[in-house]
Amino acid sequence: MKQFILQRLGSGLIVLLGISIFSFALIHLIPGDPIRIMLGENATAEQVNALREQLGLNQPLVTQYFHYLSNVFQGDLGTSFKTGRPVLTEILERFPATVKLAGSGMLIAILIGITMGILAARFKDTLLDFSAMSLATLGVSIPSFWLGILLIMFFTVKLGWFPIAGGTGLMDLVLPAVTLGVLASTVISRLTRAGMVEVLSFDYIRTARAKGLGEVAVLFIHAFRNAMIPVVTIVGLQIASLLGGTVIIERVFDWPGLGSLAISAIASRDFPLVQGIILFIGVIFVLINILVDVLYSVIDPRIEVGQLKEGT
Amino acid sequence: MGTTVSIKKIVAITAMVSLAATLMAGCGNSTTTSTSTPAPGGSTTAPSGEQPAASNLQPKKGGTITIGLKDEPDQLDIQKTGMAVANQIAGNLGGGLVTQDPETLEFKPYLAESWTVSDDGKTWNFVIRSGVKFQDGTPLTAKSFAETYQRALNPETAAKVAGSNLSEVASVEAPDDKTLVLKLKQPFAPLLQYLSDPGWLQPLSIAAIQKAGDKYGRQPVGVGPWKFDSWVNGQSISFVRNEDFTWADPIAKNQGPAYPDKLVYKFINENQTMLAALESGSIDIASKIDAKDVKKYKDNPKYEVKEMLRNGLGLFIMMNTRKPVFQQLEVRQALNKAINKEAIMKAVIQGEGVAAYGPLPPSLFGYDEAVKDYGYAYKVDEAKGLLETAGYKKNAQGIYEKDGKPLTLEILAQTGTWAQAAQLIQAMLKDIGVDVKIVTLEWGALVDTATKGNFDMTLMGYTLNDPDVLYLFLHSSQIANGLNFSAVKDDKLDSLLIKGRTTVDSQARKEVYKEIQKYVVEQAWWVPIYTEKQFNVVRKPVEGVRMHPLRGLMYQDSWVNQ
Repeated sequence: MKQFILQRLGSGLIVLLGISIFSFALIHLIPGDPIRIMLGENATAEQVNALREQLGLNQPLVTQYFHYLSNVFQGDLGTSFKTGRPVLTEILERFPATVKLAGSGMLIAILIGITMGILAARFKDTLLDFSAMSLATLGVSIPSFWLGILLIMFFTVKLGWFPIAGGTGLMDLVLPAVTLGVLASTVISRLTRAGMVEVLSFDYIRTARAKGLGEVAVLFIHAFRNAMIPVVTIVGLQIASLLGGTVIIERVFDWPGLGSLAISAIASRDFPLVQGIILFIGVIFVLINILVDVLYSVIDPRIEVGQLKEGT
Repeated sequence: MGTTVSIKKIVAITAMVSLAATLMAGCGNSTTTSTSTPAPGGSTTAPSGEQPAASNLQPKKGGTITIGLKDEPDQLDIQKTGMAVANQIAGNLGGGLVTQDPETLEFKPYLAESWTVSDDGKTWNFVIRSGVKFQDGTPLTAKSFAETYQRALNPETAAKVAGSNLSEVASVEAPDDKTLVLKLKQPFAPLLQYLSDPGWLQPLSIAAIQKAGDKYGRQPVGVGPWKFDSWVNGQSISFVRNEDFTWADPIAKNQGPAYPDKLVYKFINENQTMLAALESGSIDIASKIDAKDVKKYKDNPKYEVKEMLRNGLGLFIMMNTRKPVFQQLEVRQALNKAINKEAIMKAVIQGEGVAAYGPLPPSLFGYDEAVKDYGYAYKVDEAKGLLETAGYKKNAQGIYEKDGKPLTLEILAQTGTWAQAAQLIQAMLKDIGVDVKIVTLEWGALVDTATKGNFDMTLMGYTLNDPDVLYLFLHSSQIANGLNFSAVKDDKLDSLLIKGRTTVDSQARKEVYKEIQKYVVEQAWWVPIYTEKQFNVVRKPVEGVRMHPLRGLMYQDSWVNQ
């Protein structure tokens, strides 16, 4: 197990190195000069050149990259071009808000997704199954910003139940978390249904029912655990991607998390901050993936961590 | 085997628990924050609907005014930022040596009781008002101003706007506590305009700057009506009333401390979200609302729409005179006559602006009404005639050409309204037989391309409160390092522009700009299109918000009717 985790951490490091090269190249390739954006419309060429030199942006890209990398290994993600504050400070200030949003969104997604999935599988081919899966299809097709705006229009502007742009309080959290949760639940419910339908057709389920076990026990104790592997995978991946991918939701609801920080950083071509955010999310992604792999073996004892090495 | 299982279990349980803890932590925090920070706008929400639209109400103390802004500033050390939004916010912390009457645009004493100018226009003596204190308790003296301006002029500070506003200042001295002496390199007429801004050139407490060190940009101190309270990154900046404030700007009715307890700026980037926040009461004032969204608020008595004309030319085309095609006056004039300004304005900004015929907008000093009569009107036939005079002939495709080369031009545009305008320009020029290709760039890239001179035409816009902006855009000294992207090099214009910035007497100065305006129109280096209006929407419980045509919203007379 220890060896497995170490090995995964090692390959994670390589992935992160790749991410850093890729993000570095990408951000420098987007047209737009951070210096011009920083100095505003009345800047003279002299001011522009002076600042470019001061920030080291006049050096070759490769030099800039290795300089950046060596700083990262010393735990220094650089300072934001815009605010002049350490990148890590900027990220850590915003990260809790994103965790809060992604976490509650995920919780809602799991609750809705698994409930709907199990019900749809249990009542397969009935009206209930049909409606649940239609809703799930609808959910996949709805753009998040649209659902968000719709919820704002109804619950904030019309009914006045929930505030907007108020901060990160519980009431502020409801609408963005629901938007996020509803949309993320669709994949979970489809996967849960598929897994459950398969498992419910197995002989041991018939045996369990024949034993006279209650339906709840059959569904949750015997069937659900075995149907959970793909669900856990997707939930794990979704948590990771939600942490980095609440961008649109954060923007629509003016939620002060990492996503909205990323957008403004990209808009102002704040290179160190953008790179910092991408790397930070990369680390979380890698860690969560390792965690998910470990979780497999717990949920399904037939899978040993050793097997995972061969990619089972 | 047994041990393997248990290790597995332990790891799994730890994983589960930490996952759950992350989720819980998220939820837990939210409860605590929600109780400790109630939405500032919330308190003002309830009574809004029932308020009668009476205007002779007595101002009341208390409450919070919350203003929604699209951008968050980088910092509030006003000498180190270059962002307009930072100036907008930091203006609440400060005040200018002089102030500018919103109606007459005349300069009046403020933090200076009076001032005199030497006959050669190079020495300015200001008498500093007594009894004014910084928010950290230090008294404001002439020395404070001297130190502040010396800091702005010190290259180490790298003061972007403050530094360039004071660029003609050779030395700053304070012989005693009441006297501030500015010595200029040459007479500089825009000086008072710059000194009247409550943001960029406000006095700073050097004691506070030294005390705060690097952190000063996030805990600024000034002499103004509002004291910095807090900055929640990505969310808001809050101010509390400065209770000691008894030296309000003379243009305000309220000469004492401000009425509301708090002034909060909230950052809401998304347009729809800003409007929803306004309608739900999370904010009281929505700023920079698009023309297309503003109509419904104009018709609703619960809201008050405050509009101002942008200070500067909103949108115009710059032609690159490095290119031979634009060295012909007839071609430049032809393009001027081919553009239907009114149509572009209607399509792009819903007609919410003023069509521009010359280089100066009506909101700036020096604008001459007569420009509407002598500026180029939309006349397609005359435009074609001019191109033919210039030696162009139509080819088989209906495009003008000369020496076998078709008249194909590129135009640079930013995304958004500029790009929309560019499409209309393309269609209009196609109508007279000129082929236009649109190159869409974001701001930084556009300025870079324009500075290098690699373009035919570019759309442009600028914001500045003084007609001296024409010096920045048209004087030959500004070609390599400045904003003269058109590369206009004209001796007559150069000397007029110098005269414009060195003539201190305002009547004489007005005449100079009248002449500049006429000459720039004649030479047709630009195609002026429009100056757009800017809109702010105020929710009714907030009263007494006034508008300064060059500074924007003013809150000294504002109060919450709750």
